[in-house]
Amino acid sequence: MSQELTRMLDTLTKDIAGAKVTLKRARRMRIDVDADALPALLELLQGRGSYVHLSAISCVDWIDDNQFELVYHVWSYESNSLVSAHTRIPRDPGVYLSIYDLYKPAAFFERDIHEMFGLYFEGSPSMEKFILTEWEGPPPMRKDFDAEAWVRDTFTERDYNPEWLKELTDAGGGIAIRPQDIRK
Amino acid sequence: MIKDIPIIAEQAQQPRRTNPLAHVFDELMNFARSRSLFMLHYCTGCGAIELPPAMTSRFDMERLGIQPMVTPRQADILLVTGYVSIKTLKRIILTYEQMGSPKHVIGICSCTVNGGMYWQSYATAKKLDEYLPVDLYIAGCMPRPEAVISGLQKLIDNIKHGKSDNWKDYYQRYDHYLGNQQHLFGNNWQTPTDVIGEAREYGLFGPQTLGQHTELLESVQKPLQPLEMKL
Amino acid sequence: MRPENYQAINHPPSHEYELNFGPNHPGIEGNYALKVKLQGDQVVEAHADGGYLHRGFEKLMEGRLWIQNIALVPRICVPDPVPMEMAYSLAVEELGGLEVPIRAQWIRVMQLELSRIAAHLFTFGGHAATTGMYTTMYWGVADRDLFLDLFEELTGGRVYHIYNIPGGVRRDIPDGYLDRVTSTLDYLESRLPDYDNLFFTNQVFVKRATGTGTMTQQQALEWGVTGPNLRATGLKLDVRRDDPYLVYDEIDFDIATEEAGDAWARTLVRRKELQQSIRIVRQVIERLPSIGGPIRCPIPNPLAWNVPAGEAYARIDSSKGEVAYYVVSTGGDKPYRVHVRGPSSMHAVQVLENLVTGGRLEDVAQIMFSLDACPPEVDR
Repeated sequence: MSQELTRMLDTLTKDIAGAKVTLKRARRMRIDVDADALPALLELLQGRGSYVHLSAISCVDWIDDNQFELVYHVWSYESNSLVSAHTRIPRDPGVYLSIYDLYKPAAFFERDIHEMFGLYFEGSPSMEKFILTEWEGPPPMRKDFDAEAWVRDTFTERDYNPEWLKELTDAGGGIAIRPQDIRK
Repeated sequence: MIKDIPIIAEQAQQPRRTNPLAHVFDELMNFARSRSLFMLHYCTGCGAIELPPAMTSRFDMERLGIQPMVTPRQADILLVTGYVSIKTLKRIILTYEQMGSPKHVIGICSCTVNGGMYWQSYATAKKLDEYLPVDLYIAGCMPRPEAVISGLQKLIDNIKHGKSDNWKDYYQRYDHYLGNQQHLFGNNWQTPTDVIGEAREYGLFGPQTLGQHTELLESVQKPLQPLEMKL
Repeated sequence: MRPENYQAINHPPSHEYELNFGPNHPGIEGNYALKVKLQGDQVVEAHADGGYLHRGFEKLMEGRLWIQNIALVPRICVPDPVPMEMAYSLAVEELGGLEVPIRAQWIRVMQLELSRIAAHLFTFGGHAATTGMYTTMYWGVADRDLFLDLFEELTGGRVYHIYNIPGGVRRDIPDGYLDRVTSTLDYLESRLPDYDNLFFTNQVFVKRATGTGTMTQQQALEWGVTGPNLRATGLKLDVRRDDPYLVYDEIDFDIATEEAGDAWARTLVRRKELQQSIRIVRQVIERLPSIGGPIRCPIPNPLAWNVPAGEAYARIDSSKGEVAYYVVSTGGDKPYRVHVRGPSSMHAVQVLENLVTGGRLEDVAQIMFSLDACPPEVDR
């Protein structure tokens, strides 16, 4: 069944330049696509492939490649399979197209990605802050934002140094791994 | 961050009491107060999930005379149940200042003590007692209803013996608390409650009520406008 | 008054006002807020305002080891934490190529369904309280506590279990545990007629809930509604059936549905799911003694565990809807990225705003509870 699905998706995406379909496991498909062609691909998947349920939009910050990866997970209630459409856009200026006119749930995810990664979606119904309304720092989910350093700058820790803790800290802390403990 | 302020403040000048029966009356008041506590119904974090069991049939908080109350104006206890995100902390402070004295703050869960497992999170405040005078901490992640109830019993005991008056500390050392709040929320932070005026009114105006932070507050404070009624 | 003397009074033009519904409000579920614009007591506009429970989970998880995150994930949904650890474990197992032993899979199913029962009982209580029936809340929370006792015996924790780890479960079931589960289920079943009389057929509830917050099938699919809320519009869709995980394809259960799509139907679906969950747990109790074997597969030293590079998307049906985890690994000892898709991120924002608009103020709390919205899932 999965192979039939892959074949179906292959024929569906043959007009879309650069689309590559891979079967990851049963009911999980991955399509890599160029950023320009992604809205067209999603339109095809929704209209002709019955992928009507947008499960999530995930954003991954690949800071070494200076790119954001956007992953659109769409589910089909008819063929019971999930297609993850992967695309990459440059980290700068970080602007992309909204798919709100195709999938209504995109409004929440795009808003979320906007405030967490600072990626702007053109055509999304609301790009106002939702969760971080009172946050003034940089978008926190970006890899170059060091949350731990921010916390160290902002807050002080409570002093708590009982005797029993000293033994542990002298040995390198609670989760330090001694070389002989590493299993291969 | 202000560090050089001592934890125990000097007692402010209290008017001398002339009535010889004053302490008897105080004890009676404290006893009555300890037996009828209203707890503000505000679920600030995940510890709130153990409050319904503590309130309802199985553990039954009501036998101690504790009931939830929906408005801060009539509540005696503010339960801060778990981690406080910075956005919530502002609301907690607003709520706390609206509560009528005497009022008590209980920090439930480890997160209110020192940030708990969210110690590296950019979104949560770490130590609750920097921003509000906390009467009692109930540690645990999350504390069981028995622990919550035993903590509340401890509070009742303290109130009965007149030991639980940390709320006075907020007036006496307002500058310290305000400084910490400004450090976290920015210099434009202000609340609609006139804490300094209240401190004078209650006779709790101490040497550390005013300071550099209250000066900063006065310089940025916008006067409160009466709400417009539009019909 | 004679007609010729009648003079129409010029009413002032209708006016609107705004009300902050939450975060400190007894009718809101959790720490969440709705800004509603009202005309009289009719809601003309509603805007959800979240972030009060934001902890930055996704950022925290990037800074912790794979195994440390197990302790972190249940906190994302407080009333129903098991699906969270389960979905995360499933995703990590897919990445690491781990085979979960059959016995562990059955124990996991039991735990998932017990968690569903507990979460539903809690929701009934909350929903009943919004219609003024506090007795149901007292009963529901007290009966839920019996299930928390079962969890405590199995896992050591009442609310957060941290029982599933990638590769299996932490402990085997204690002696005589299944008998105690059976007796608790028997007790709950004997209570169901009482619940029906008290709440589900109570005219106060039926009249308040019928026609409140109605959505059609079309709207539900469009807005990304999942779980019991979707099934309340008559669609027989369930992740457990359509995208089976663990051993759900070997288990016999019906998908509970209702046609109406209103608050009443959503609650009734949960009521029916309660019975189906009892049925599933009974099947597990029947099968579990005959399944031997280990309860987890060997994993490398969890403190020095480098999960192979790749990405996985695990979906699960929780008591609220579809929970999904997108986990990306670059072969390090920490996740590179974890994205949590909570069902309430749809239900509590877009769907709630839409359903509340046009309704009345007193129904706002009821609609929120009937959607079983869980704010910590939205805020993460």
